[in-house]
Amino acid sequence: MSFYNTDMTKKYILNLLLLVTLAVWGGAVSAQTLISVKGKVVDKSDGNGIPAVTIMASTSTRAIGMTRDDGSFTVSVPDNATLTFKYLNYKDVSIKLNGKNDLKVVMAEDRTSLEDIVVVGYAQKTKETVMGAVTSLKGKDIQDVPVSNVAELFQAKVPGLNIQINTGSPGAAPTINMRGLSGISVTGSGDNAFLTPTSPLFVIDGVPVDLNTDYQYGFSSNGPGISPLSLIPPEDIEEINFLKDASATALYGAQGAYGVILINTRRGKSKTPIIQYSTNFFFNTPPKLRQVIGGAAESNLRLWEIYTYGANVYSARQSIDNTPMLADSLNTFYNNSTDWQSIFYRSTYNQQHNVNASGGDDSFNYKINVGYYDEKGIQENTGFTRYSLSMNTRYKPSPKFNVNLILSSSLGNTQKGSGNGLLQTGVASGAGSSSLLPGPSLINSSAALGALIVDNDNKAGNIKTSVEARYEFLTGLALSNITSYDYSMGTTETFNPAILNNNVAGVYSYNDKRSTLYNRAMLSFNKSFQKDVHNLGAYVFSEVYVRNFQAHAIKQNQYTNDQYQGPFGTSAASSGGGVLDNYSDSRAASLAGSLSYNYKTKYLIEATFRLDGTSSTGLNAPWARNPSLAVKWNFNKENFLANSKWLDVGMLRLSWGRNIAPVGSVFDANGTYDYYGNYNGMPTTAIDFNNLPNIKLLPTSTTQYNAGLDLNLFKNRITLTFDTYYKMVDNQLWEKNITTHNAFTKLKTNEVSNVNYGYELALSFRPLPATSKVNWTLSINGAYNKEKITALPDATRQLLLDGGATGQAILYRLGRNSLTNILYNFKGVFATDDDVPVNPANGTRYHTFNGAVPVYFKAGDPYYADINGDYVLDSKDMVGAGNSQPLINGGISNFISYQGFSLNVIMAYTWHRDILNNPLASSFQNFASPFSANNLVPIGAYNIWRQSGDIANYPNPYDYLRYGNYGATDKSTQFLPFRYNQTLFQEDGSYLKLATVTLGYNFKPQLTKRLGITSLRVFATANNIHTFSFYSGADPENVSSLGRDNSGGYPVRRTYALGLNIQL
Amino acid sequence: MIPRNKSIALFFAAIGALAILGCKKLLPSDTDAFNKDAGFKQTVYKPILGRTTLMGDNFNIESSSLPLTFKIVSMRNSDGITSPELLKPFPVLVWKKAYDGSEKSIQEIEAKRTTEQHTLFEVGEHSGEFIMWAEAKSNIVKALPDSGYVFDVEVSNNGGRKYFNNLVLQPQRELPYEPNRINPLTGANTGGSINPSVLTGIVGDKSGQPLAASDITVLFSKVGEGNSISFKFLDTLLKPIDPAKFKLTNWSKLVHGFNMKMTTTSVKYDAAYPIPLVAIPTPYTNTTGTRARVAFAYDRIGFGGFRVEASLGLDFAIFEKGDWEVIFWFNKDNPRFTND
Repeated sequence: MSFYNTDMTKKYILNLLLLVTLAVWGGAVSAQTLISVKGKVVDKSDGNGIPAVTIMASTSTRAIGMTRDDGSFTVSVPDNATLTFKYLNYKDVSIKLNGKNDLKVVMAEDRTSLEDIVVVGYAQKTKETVMGAVTSLKGKDIQDVPVSNVAELFQAKVPGLNIQINTGSPGAAPTINMRGLSGISVTGSGDNAFLTPTSPLFVIDGVPVDLNTDYQYGFSSNGPGISPLSLIPPEDIEEINFLKDASATALYGAQGAYGVILINTRRGKSKTPIIQYSTNFFFNTPPKLRQVIGGAAESNLRLWEIYTYGANVYSARQSIDNTPMLADSLNTFYNNSTDWQSIFYRSTYNQQHNVNASGGDDSFNYKINVGYYDEKGIQENTGFTRYSLSMNTRYKPSPKFNVNLILSSSLGNTQKGSGNGLLQTGVASGAGSSSLLPGPSLINSSAALGALIVDNDNKAGNIKTSVEARYEFLTGLALSNITSYDYSMGTTETFNPAILNNNVAGVYSYNDKRSTLYNRAMLSFNKSFQKDVHNLGAYVFSEVYVRNFQAHAIKQNQYTNDQYQGPFGTSAASSGGGVLDNYSDSRAASLAGSLSYNYKTKYLIEATFRLDGTSSTGLNAPWARNPSLAVKWNFNKENFLANSKWLDVGMLRLSWGRNIAPVGSVFDANGTYDYYGNYNGMPTTAIDFNNLPNIKLLPTSTTQYNAGLDLNLFKNRITLTFDTYYKMVDNQLWEKNITTHNAFTKLKTNEVSNVNYGYELALSFRPLPATSKVNWTLSINGAYNKEKITALPDATRQLLLDGGATGQAILYRLGRNSLTNILYNFKGVFATDDDVPVNPANGTRYHTFNGAVPVYFKAGDPYYADINGDYVLDSKDMVGAGNSQPLINGGISNFISYQGFSLNVIMAYTWHRDILNNPLASSFQNFASPFSANNLVPIGAYNIWRQSGDIANYPNPYDYLRYGNYGATDKSTQFLPFRYNQTLFQEDGSYLKLATVTLGYNFKPQLTKRLGITSLRVFATANNIHTFSFYSGADPENVSSLGRDNSGGYPVRRTYALGLNIQL
Repeated sequence: MIPRNKSIALFFAAIGALAILGCKKLLPSDTDAFNKDAGFKQTVYKPILGRTTLMGDNFNIESSSLPLTFKIVSMRNSDGITSPELLKPFPVLVWKKAYDGSEKSIQEIEAKRTTEQHTLFEVGEHSGEFIMWAEAKSNIVKALPDSGYVFDVEVSNNGGRKYFNNLVLQPQRELPYEPNRINPLTGANTGGSINPSVLTGIVGDKSGQPLAASDITVLFSKVGEGNSISFKFLDTLLKPIDPAKFKLTNWSKLVHGFNMKMTTTSVKYDAAYPIPLVAIPTPYTNTTGTRARVAFAYDRIGFGGFRVEASLGLDFAIFEKGDWEVIFWFNKDNPRFTND
């Protein structure tokens, strides 16, 4: 039996049925003889007793007893009764007594989770009645791994959710994309190009948290760079729901275009108060660092290169004599073998503690959670500490009225070293230094030293509060209201000592505040007719967001000394402060309604419609209309399948709908009015001519079609969820330059669209029968996603984005995946001079230019395809190649438990994605300048060209006199054999990562009981263990969202943890 | 009951199939961009006959996708009549291996070249470069002052195509050697003399004064259809000077020629044409490789007992195969070889 929509209805009907049943059976019960039955209820997974299991007798619908703390029970029942044991999230067990009076009851978790309550669209539903594509995770599925950001733990668990842990910086967020790429605009260029993030909306206990605003992305802001997700203790999470299709996200429509992730924290649900303590002690180690050549070996290699490839021995000697690093080898400054990486990288011991106290029942419950997490970064002078305190309570004085209160606060503290959380440029330049130089000290390498001694302290604080009240004044008709307020503040204090900064000590201080006030008032109606044959549900609500953000910064220079920080610098010219120009004040208001109907929960239909207005929308189109429609067919309820032996659940879903996400700011739509000098002696205000206001500016809208199939087969031993979708992301924000005869320079428009389509599959398989003592579940999930551009500004077919310092340009072209790299097509290495093509007309060899000087290719040089056939290599010979976005990604997990032991193995995979291996390119490039103090890595392992006739994979790196300038701005007229923008360094970034292995043991309750402990679990976890990949770089995952490996990136740590969970 | 279920199932299956299959048709195809504003930067081409001329960097692609495909269509005379001489293929000499200046014999050089059939005026398929092959001579194609030819070019990629009409080809008459004093319109000599490009330290035998470049006239003369080049020096009376007197000359590296035969009147090499063969820097050319460079030198004890090095040099090119003589005529005063 299943009911629709609210637990109110459920309770009401349950009571009704109860009465009827009692009336029918009441007389019969008294005739039986009663016996006393004792026994114990244990958990199948660990053999521990389960407390508070409800025991019901077949003769009664009333609970006749409950198990004690250790799972034992004693009840008096008629001798022929059938006992039913019920416990939340466990499968009901029924046992016919037949005179037995000592029972051992084994209860197993209900992994089909079909009856699980899922909160979707502000209403509780069973999975059977959920219309959209929703994946759920339990909190305990993710709680054995200590990480600073909970989103890392979602990786590999949800089909269609592409999480790439592309930075190991403590407190930073991974990139999160739901169902492909929802935005194609790129900020920056070359090595520092970043995809504009389109993370799904997070809703934490009903409070929306938007990750896409700039403050999480340290590279583009001055803030502390702590992701709001890093402020949530994972131990407090009860459940996460991932809403993927338009129907599921419809009710979050004003923000939900990129998908929605709902995180619900724990609630009290046990009448006996429970105190849970969990802790982790973990050891983080840096991944394998790259090898470098040190000391004499480096010096000898440089000398060999100069003598071998210099113009002649005289000029080689002269240039060596002019390079003190090589000539003056006995000078202590140059006579070193410094291992730079060991200076910056370290292994750290860390800890995490969490205490959770909860209790109560449906009418009153409470929870308090206190958490502490401390991680020292694997790079010196970095780290993240989180303190959190949260509580929630629920008051339900009558079935008609309830109030939920949530209060959570957290504080994050991070040290960013020399970088900004995402990039560690100081470390990169330091670790890229020659080993001949001495380590960081006051006489060398201020950038490197900066990574170690810059004094910085960054804090992010957050308070979330929410009050929800619901009053069901008539049966089925309820009024509810939720108000939440989310306040965050961030501060950054950085002190640069004088020795680092040209003898000028200085301080930079930053603080910001961000608040979101949210209110939703809803009227809902649920009614069933003809004994649940016709079920109707409807609601309307209005919601309002009020958002504010303001940041201040102050910079003071020329302090008196390094010890005394402040109060005033002496340089007015280089000091300053005030409000930064990224302030915002925005509103969003929505009016929405939903209507749903089902027939015997067999045929279901739901329609929603909403009107959304945001303050960043242009005046011409203030409201966006966003409809959605979903139908569902639970075909296992059809008569011809109802008695099927193999089919337990079969559901077919179809949905269509549109969502929006606000983009741009109120200034893009309405212009910026600013102080504009004096006129007639009076200060004037005028429009900023940099940006033309666009009164037609629209929010980004996502239109999505989804078809899904859910199957549970063979008594739930096989469960399968398959979804296919077609997602159009229209009206993406794009800034374009407008022709110079306009008064304005730039305009932001909505002319960009792309489409994602693909398939998602989640398959779970339990090879052993339910009676087996071993519980084994094997799950695999994967998503196949294709992405294509469907519209570009001004109706052009293609756009080229400049490649910046690395020359790695990006091609946008209709009908093709976004973010195609524009590269020289590397076809191999010329083995001999005769392999170089010759222009038949004039006999010149294939050549390129260093500026105006032709460089004729010869043996050992790279062969780039001459696309236009003019026997000259130039920028016209570049081709579009590669796709930085993965085609398939997903995960594999394997869970085995036997009595108290459990083993959980999780693997993540990404298949078919292209990575530009810039660190390898730059390692080779370093050989082009044997006189500079950069580091040299051993390249003996690479198949490089050494002599005529070699069939090599990599060109000759030593012939330095012929090479152009790698630093040149116009790299198209340079001979650069190890240039970044070539297909040689575009590598397959597919990987299979052994992400997590957890081995746990649950102590038998008999042992722990005398200590007063109900449950005791110890476990050991290893995280980020090994990545299997063809990629020749360090880590195919630790690359930017554009698939560019950056030597300045923060490597992802490897973690070994010992953990303990205690329940009192 | 069953039929209704079946029809429902069919309905869902049909919608599902539509949802999956119907999608791709909404997507734009991944075709090249073709900007209609793309066009030729140069519409009149005046190659010099008798030498292979590449006319590139002549097309402005605007924002079109590369590579573009170029094709010459309807080659015709200026009066619109078709021009078979530019349509039918001729055997032309093409390079198949790289010449680098290290070849030891004419055979080795010739082994790097081969004959292929080409029309005399072509366009590079993807580069858009026009090629006028060296085998096009004014006895086959019309040369200035004739108005020449008119042709159209079809430029396309898979995103579009465009015809560029009435491009003009006006070949200029052969200039078989450089430098020269020939009017390319008429082929007639315009008068004036060719002088050496380097002249240092040579003093007149009579005057004792340094000679100027204008005091030496360089003459190119084709004396046969063979494969050789010879250098002669004539005194003011047009009597030959013994080339051996230029005793510091590096005769083996003078030109990329073979089988040097030195007589008292001339020095002769077997050589492959054109000279230089390829425009790359070799020991036989100037620094850019566009001209062959010869240098004749000697030394003597000059005024005051100082040793004087004298040198006579010429940067030149010869495009037409033959037995060529390069004559240096000291038209004002003979060089002094004796010590002071």
